[in-house]
Amino acid sequence: MTDHVLLLLQQAADSIPAYREFPVIGSRSAVWITAEVHLMFAAFVLGVPMFAVVTEAIGIFNKDERYDRLAKEFTRLLLVAYSATAIWGAMLTIGLFTLYPRFSQYMASVFSPSMWLYVGLFLFESFTLYLYYYGWDRWKKGRSKWVHWGLGVQLNVFGTIVMFIANSWLTFMMSPPRDVTPTTDPTTIKLWHAIATATWMPINIHRLIANVVFGGAVVAAYASYRFLSAKTDEERAHYDWMGYVGNFIAMSALIVLPFAGYWLGREVYQYDQSMGITMMGGFMSWLWVIQAFLIAVLFLTGNYYLWLGMQRIPGAERFRPYTKWLLGILVLGAIVWGTPHTMIADTKELAAMGGSHHPFLGALGVMSAKNTAVNLMILTTFLSFLLYRRANTRPVVPWARTGTIVQGVMFAVAAAVVLFFGIRGYFVEAIVRIGFSVYQVLAVLTCIVFVTVIDILMARGAQSLGAIQWGKMPPRSQYALFVLAVTFTWLMGLMGFARSGIRQYWHVWQVMQDTSRYAATPALGYAAKMISTCVLIFLLLVGFVFWLGGLAEKSTFVEAAPKERDHVGH
Amino acid sequence: MWGTNLRVLGVVLGTLLVYTLIANKIPQVQSEVPQALALGANVTPEQLVAAGDKVFNGIGGCTTCHGLGTRAPNLLTDEKGTGLIGVRCAQREAGKSCKQYLFESLDNPTAFVVPGYQPIMPVMSRQLSPQQIWAVIAFLESQGGTVDVTGSDIPAPTPGASPGSPGSPGSAGFAGGSTDPQAIMNAAGCLGCHKLNGAGGAIAPDLTHVGTRRNAESLRRKILDPTSSVAKGFERFAGVMPKTFGTMMNASQLEALVQFLAAHK
Repeated sequence: MTDHVLLLLQQAADSIPAYREFPVIGSRSAVWITAEVHLMFAAFVLGVPMFAVVTEAIGIFNKDERYDRLAKEFTRLLLVAYSATAIWGAMLTIGLFTLYPRFSQYMASVFSPSMWLYVGLFLFESFTLYLYYYGWDRWKKGRSKWVHWGLGVQLNVFGTIVMFIANSWLTFMMSPPRDVTPTTDPTTIKLWHAIATATWMPINIHRLIANVVFGGAVVAAYASYRFLSAKTDEERAHYDWMGYVGNFIAMSALIVLPFAGYWLGREVYQYDQSMGITMMGGFMSWLWVIQAFLIAVLFLTGNYYLWLGMQRIPGAERFRPYTKWLLGILVLGAIVWGTPHTMIADTKELAAMGGSHHPFLGALGVMSAKNTAVNLMILTTFLSFLLYRRANTRPVVPWARTGTIVQGVMFAVAAAVVLFFGIRGYFVEAIVRIGFSVYQVLAVLTCIVFVTVIDILMARGAQSLGAIQWGKMPPRSQYALFVLAVTFTWLMGLMGFARSGIRQYWHVWQVMQDTSRYAATPALGYAAKMISTCVLIFLLLVGFVFWLGGLAEKSTFVEAAPKERDHVGH
Repeated sequence: MWGTNLRVLGVVLGTLLVYTLIANKIPQVQSEVPQALALGANVTPEQLVAAGDKVFNGIGGCTTCHGLGTRAPNLLTDEKGTGLIGVRCAQREAGKSCKQYLFESLDNPTAFVVPGYQPIMPVMSRQLSPQQIWAVIAFLESQGGTVDVTGSDIPAPTPGASPGSPGSPGSAGFAGGSTDPQAIMNAAGCLGCHKLNGAGGAIAPDLTHVGTRRNAESLRRKILDPTSSVAKGFERFAGVMPKTFGTMMNASQLEALVQFLAAHK
């Protein structure tokens, strides 16, 4: 009897089709859109709590009501976004189980315990968010405020674990343990063995930072919309400030993001060199030129916003002459970074170019030039921010002049180190050259850390040249924030395509092959249309979600414009 | 209000449009699923060259390094005055014809590394089928040289052994299902990494006396699950051995290979 039942079950399992078709757009597009939009909402609801809780802490420590209200407003944006995340997650799950049943069954066989845990934690995370938001005004004073802040921390802990669990599914697909073969029974794979794969932690860290970048950019776009539609100066001032904070968060985290990306790339290469080559030099090689273009847009637009912002700061005019030089460095850096190098080229293209490299531009396409360019762009952006920060202050500490000189020397030394190793890289072997990028990065990070510390110390008791006139920003600055948000979102879609696409025709790399009619990995043009579709869906929905949030509760902006303060309001 | 909404929508749509247009203006390369080549004994040189062109510029991923000039020698353009690969291939290694040299480069790339370059080329016979390998050789010969690859060079198709796709247990296996251990080892490309009786690669343990270190059971387990144990001194190459051999040869072949190796004492 038992054997008979087992036989029936086995027959039932064997009768499951590998794939089903989705009407009109096909199953790949259906899963692509649901996965991407779900991921965008998920990144938003994971990123925003991180800086909401930090903002709340700043408010507590500084006893500054504005930060507390800002943190609450960040959190308010999360409420409906959580529902949207869950809805798109459910759509993705149903899509996978109906359109890719055999693959889904395989994944469930390996990961079902962690899938249950995921659902449970998501539930806790949601209720923690409700407590965190709705308890804001109730637990406002004294010890209860700390309890409330603890809820915010708890929310982040739940969210991070949830993300790590979901990441383990995709990193298993990307880099399954070496001992998992096509004939391995998935039920025999130990759960932790399947989770702790080569790319799991790099992806975790990369996404953690990227979520902050993304959340900051979307919050800045929200604030810019509220700025543009504001009816009073007070409201405009508040959303100008909120937009600035959102952009500051996004740009600050963006500076760190490439280092996490390097780590991920290195792990991919170490796991499987052919996968790394496919990613960086194979059919995806042009993708990195597009990425360079997008990052150039981010750097230029982010700096442009800062420079426009200096118009509302008394005293900033003394730094205005430097802007054109900063712009020059950024543009040159962007051009170098976007120069193609490791391209797939056919015989005709090679012949047309007169060789494997362009006779002039080829020298700029190598990593030595690109690393130099991006590090100088980061330094330039940091300098822009430093000028912005110091715009309306005059340091009064006795060592102010020495401090400024030391800061200048640090910039010069960091730039010299970057240039030295960039040029030296042309004369050494590749393996040595790769190591040089570490020295370049360290020089830049060291400069950023020490210059910031000196600046904070120098700002103590600094004489104010006048308060920032929040709200006195030209509308084009707010559209710049929209360009930033769209670009960040598009970049996220592009990088998602890169990460997923390097598996090529494998559901699980070299373990489970994609035998559907969509097994081929599409070219970048097709991917771009899909990414734009996803970004548009996300932005329309997020706009709707924010509008809903606005219906439910009036804005929490501070009634009166920030008064002139001793500090500069950063 | 509506003016603001429309302007915001315009900025969003405009930005998306620019990115989409740029991404569609660059060369479009799709990553295809490898297709098994059906090249019979009477295949013509033109058919071989055409098939090799597709592999070289497509799934072989050869252009990733070759043709760029920094990672690996140019093959389709002149390399430091020595001509195209079809011209210079016969002069690379003394005593080796163009065809032999090119096969060695694909099957055992560390055997000879062109001066000035690093030994980074993967063993292509692990990634491409024999049909694809010989098609690529014909294509490379056609770059300024004479194509002398014929159908007789190509072993009989072995569906289960198609790299990139797992074979099914009980399939024909390597080398047309032959139980000759030497034929299995040649077809599986074992000597690309291992050495046997003085011939072969050096990035995996020498198999000449493997029977003194491993019994038949240990060898069988190692072939079926390469990560089950790692030889001392080769830890950094752990994971390099393909884990698909167990699915690419039939049971008779596995046993023949295991007994052959176990007897090497």
